[in-house]
Amino acid sequence: MVNLTIDGKQITVSKKATIYEAAKEAGVHIPVLCYAKKLLPYGACRICLVEVEQMKGRLIPSCTTPVTEGMVVNSISDEIRKVRKTVLEFLLVNHVVECPVCDKGGECDLQDLTYEYEVVTNRFEGEKFDLPTDEINPLIERNMNRCVLCGKCVRVCDEIVGYGSYSFINRGFETKIATAFDRGLNCEFCGQCVSMCPVGAILPRPFKFKARPWQLKEVDSVCGYCGNGCTVTFGTKDNEVQTIRFNDKNGVNDGNLCIRGRFGISYVNSDKRLTRPLVRRNGHLTETSWDDAIQVAVAGLKAAGDKLGVISGARLTNEELFLVKQLAKTLGTENLDHSGGECYKGVTEGLKETLGIQASTGTFPQVEHCDAILSIRSDFYETHPVFGMVVNQAVRNNEAKLTVIADKRGKFTKLPNARTLLHKPGLELNILNAICSVLLDEGLAKTDGIEGLNELKDALKDYSADAVAAATGVGADAIKQAARELAQADNAAILLAYGLPYTAYSKELGTAAANLALLTGIAGRPGSGLYLCGEKANSQGAVDLSILPGEKGLGAQQMLAAAGTGELKALYLIGEDPLTSYPDRALVEKALEASFLVVQDLFLSPTAQKADVVFPATSFAEKDGTFTNAERRIQRLRVGITPPGEARTDFAILQQLIQEFGGQAPATSAEAFAALAAETPGYEMVSLEMLGPQGYVWGGDILQPESKKLLPVAGAVAVDGDYQLLVGSSLYHSGTVSTGAKGPMAVVSEPYIELGREDAAALKLVDGDLLKLKAAAGEIQAKVKVDRRLPKGVLFTPYHFSQLELNRIYRGQAAIAVEPVKQ
Amino acid sequence: MFKEFAKGLSITLKHLLPGNCTTVQYPQQKLEMSPRFRGLHRLVPTQTREKCVACYLCPTVCPAKCITVESAENEAGEKYPKVYKIDLLRCIFCGYCVEACPVEAIEMTDAYELANYKRDDFNFEKERLLKS
Ligand code: SF4
Ligand code: SF4
Ligand code: SF4
Ligand code: SF4
Ligand code: SF4
Ligand code: FES
Repeated sequence: MVNLTIDGKQITVSKKATIYEAAKEAGVHIPVLCYAKKLLPYGACRICLVEVEQMKGRLIPSCTTPVTEGMVVNSISDEIRKVRKTVLEFLLVNHVVECPVCDKGGECDLQDLTYEYEVVTNRFEGEKFDLPTDEINPLIERNMNRCVLCGKCVRVCDEIVGYGSYSFINRGFETKIATAFDRGLNCEFCGQCVSMCPVGAILPRPFKFKARPWQLKEVDSVCGYCGNGCTVTFGTKDNEVQTIRFNDKNGVNDGNLCIRGRFGISYVNSDKRLTRPLVRRNGHLTETSWDDAIQVAVAGLKAAGDKLGVISGARLTNEELFLVKQLAKTLGTENLDHSGGECYKGVTEGLKETLGIQASTGTFPQVEHCDAILSIRSDFYETHPVFGMVVNQAVRNNEAKLTVIADKRGKFTKLPNARTLLHKPGLELNILNAICSVLLDEGLAKTDGIEGLNELKDALKDYSADAVAAATGVGADAIKQAARELAQADNAAILLAYGLPYTAYSKELGTAAANLALLTGIAGRPGSGLYLCGEKANSQGAVDLSILPGEKGLGAQQMLAAAGTGELKALYLIGEDPLTSYPDRALVEKALEASFLVVQDLFLSPTAQKADVVFPATSFAEKDGTFTNAERRIQRLRVGITPPGEARTDFAILQQLIQEFGGQAPATSAEAFAALAAETPGYEMVSLEMLGPQGYVWGGDILQPESKKLLPVAGAVAVDGDYQLLVGSSLYHSGTVSTGAKGPMAVVSEPYIELGREDAAALKLVDGDLLKLKAAAGEIQAKVKVDRRLPKGVLFTPYHFSQLELNRIYRGQAAIAVEPVKQ
Repeated sequence: MFKEFAKGLSITLKHLLPGNCTTVQYPQQKLEMSPRFRGLHRLVPTQTREKCVACYLCPTVCPAKCITVESAENEAGEKYPKVYKIDLLRCIFCGYCVEACPVEAIEMTDAYELANYKRDDFNFEKERLLKS
C-alpha cells in the first residue's frame, strides 16, 4: 500500500494504482478520454493532466502514472484548467462538430468536456476532417470525422476481444483509425468498440437517429441468449427496447457483450410475435380467447390422463421452471425434461457420478488469472463468446498456456501461442483419456483421497499418448506437453460447453473432463476450475431445479418416441422448437403428429405450426425473475417493456394451468423464488435481496466436489467416410430464436455448409454454390462457405436455421458421414 | 395634496381628448406586433426540406412538454423530423424552443388569433407549422 495526498485528502491505495485510480477512490474527479477501466493505460489524450509537487515544472498524465509514497497531487489549478482547455481546442480543430445530428450527443465525453471547460471559441484554425464514413454496415456505423484518436477501439478489439480489427494508419494530421486495407468491417460484431468510443465516431447502426440518450429509460436485466449470463441494460422508449446501453457496473462481464447480446435484441419487438392464443379448429390454427385456449388445452391434457409429457426450454426463469415442475407434479407425471434431454448429461450424470456435484466449480473472473487453460472443442468461443474473451485476456495479460482439443480451427486456436490438438471428428474423449494417462505415467497426477485410481489406470492402458496420437492424428508430444502444463499450473481451467448440437458423448465427455479435473487437482482448488457451460441462458437453473425425468419418468427423446407410438397421448412444449433443433427429425415429426400438442412460444415456430393449442408467451425483456448462469451466478431479470397483444408470461400461463388442474401455485415470482430456494440444493440460503448488481454465486466462488471418484470412459471410434459433417453453433447465433433478430441475421442470414479450401478445390466449389449432402438418413442442401478452418474431409454446418432441416441427417452423432454433391 | 390629485386627474382627462386614445377598435383595427412578439410557431423550410434536424432539444427544454419530435433517416441519409407536432393548448409561449434550437429551425410569428372550435385543431403538425 502507498500513502499519498490528492487535493489535500490523505489516502492509501494499492501500489499498483495510478494517480487517476487513486483520485477516483478518494472521490476526486479527473476528466479522461482515452482511459478505460478494463484496458491497459495508454496516455493518448492528455486531458487527465495533473500537478505533482515532486515533479514540478511539468504536468503529469494521471491515467498512466503510478502512485508513489508521499506523492502530493493537485487535480485542478488555473494552469491545469488552461492546459486542458487547450487540449480540447486542439481536438476541436479538425473535429466536425455536428452534435444536433450526432447520436452520441448527450453522452459524448468531448461534448461534456467542451461544456465543462467552456470552450466557446478556438484560437487555432485548421481544416475540418472530410473522411468517408461507413453507413452501409448494418450493425456498426463509423464516422472518423468525429474521432479523437483515443485508441480505445483499437485496444478493446485487441486486448479484450482478441480480434484486432482496427489500427492507426497514416501519420500526423492524417492519422486515422482504419481496418485492414481500410475496407468495411467484417468481424465478430460484438460491438465492444461501439461501447468504448467516447465520441460519436463508432455508433450502433440499428439505433441510428432513434432517440436521445436522455429519453431512454434504463432497465438492468440479463441477456436471454446463452449461459454466459451477461448483464445487459435495456434502453427503452415507446415500449420498445431501442438499444442496449453500456454498463460495466453490473454482472461479471465488465460491460462486454457478444453480437447476440448487443445486437440480437430486436426479436422481442418483432411483428411476427404471437399476440393471441391459437387453437386448431377444422385443421387450422385460429385465433381465440385465453379462456377458450386454456379450456381446450385442459380438456386435451385431461383426456391424456397420466400419459403425457412436459418438455421445457432452458430460457425460462428459475421461477417459471419451478412452476413447470409444479405443473408436472399436478398432472401426475414424471415425464419431465428440458433441452433435448441428452446434451446436459455431462453435468447431471458425468459430474454427478464423479464429483458429486452438477455445476461448474469456479467463477469466470478466476480464469483471467489462470496459467493453463484447456478448452474441449474450439466451438467454446462460439457458444460462450464473452467467457471466451476472459480466456483471451488470460492468454494476453497472464501468458496463460491455452490448449484446444479441436476438430476444426477457430477463434481459440488463433490466439497467441495456442496449442491446437486437431483431431479426427468425434475423438475428444480419446485425447482426454490420453492426457489422463500421461499424468499417471509421468507421476504428475494428484491422487490423494481419490477413489477408483486403479480401475482408471487399467482402463487407460490402451490410451497412451502415442496410441491416441496415432488414432486421432494429434502429435503425441503436444498431448504430453498439454498434460504437463495443466498439472504444473498454479491455476488452471478446463472448459467444455454443452448444448443441443453437441449431444454425442455428452455424459462421457463430462466424466472424462471430471477425471482430468481430479487428476490435475483443478476441481475445488481456489483459482482453478472445471467449467461445464450450458448453451442457454438458464441451462444451469434447469439442472439445479431438476427439470429432469423422475425415476420412472421418460426423458425428452423417450417422450418423443413414446408419443410417436401412441404410448403418450399429449405433449406440452414450453419454449422449445424440437422440429428445428432436436436431433432426429423423423422421431419428432411422428411425435408431434400423433399426440395432442400444446406449444407455448414467442413465434409460430415450425413446431408450433403442428400444435393443437398455441399459447403466446413473453420474451426475457418482458418478465422478471432470475437466471442462473454457467458459473452458478443467480441474477435478476427486470421488466423492460410490456408484452405485445395478449401475450402472457410463462409464469402467468403456468400458474393458471396449475390452478385449472386443482394445484397450488405461488402468486408472484418473488414467492416462487422463496419456494424454490427452500427446496433446491445450494439455493437454501439465497433470498432475492441477496442478488445485488453482481448477482449471487450459489455454492461460493469455489464449489467443492462432494466426492472424488474416477470413472473410466471408453474412447470413441472415428467415423468412416471421406467426408464428415460436424454440427455446431455459429458465433452470431444462439439456439433458434436469434434467427428472428435483425442483428444476427444481418451477418448470417441463412444456413450454410462450410468447407476447407482443399475440399472446395477438389469439389470445384466456390462461395455461394449450392451443395447437397447425402447421408444415411436423408439429405440436406445449402450454400457453400469456403474457409480455412476445416481440415480436409471435414464439413461444418450450424444448427440454428429451421429451413435447413438439418435434423433429417443429424441424429445426435459426433460426426455424420456424408457424400457431397454439387448442385 | 389637492395639487397632486389635480395633476393626476389632468393626465386622465388628457387621454379623453380625441387622438389620445390607446384602445384600438379590434377586430376592425389591428396593431402591428413587436418583432419580439411570441405568437404561433413556424418551422423554417429550406429549398428541399425543413431546416429542423430533429435534435430533440426543443422537446427537451419545453417546460409544458407540448412538443413531439420523432427523428428518422431520410433517403439522403440525413436526420429529419418524421413527426414534429406542437400541442398549442398546452404551449405557454415561453419561446424556449426558439432559444434552444441550434440551427434556427423554429421561430415564433406574430400570429395570435389562434382560437378554434375543436381540440384537434390545436394540434399543429409539421406541415402546418412549415406554412405558418
Ligand atoms: S462526437 Fe460529440 S462533440 Fe462531436 S459531434 Fe458528436 S456529440 Fe458533438
Ligand atoms: S465489433 Fe468487436 S470484433 Fe468488431 S471491430 Fe468492434 S470490437 Fe472488434
Ligand atoms: S473511433 Fe472512437 S474509440 Fe476509436 S480512436 Fe476514435 S474516438 Fe477513440
Ligand atoms: S449471448 Fe451469451 S455471451 Fe453473448 S451477450 Fe448474451 S449472455 Fe453474453
Ligand atoms: S431544437 Fe430545432 S432542430 Fe432541434 S428538434 Fe427543435 S426545431 Fe428541430
Ligand atoms: S485519459 Fe490520461 S491521457 Fe487520456
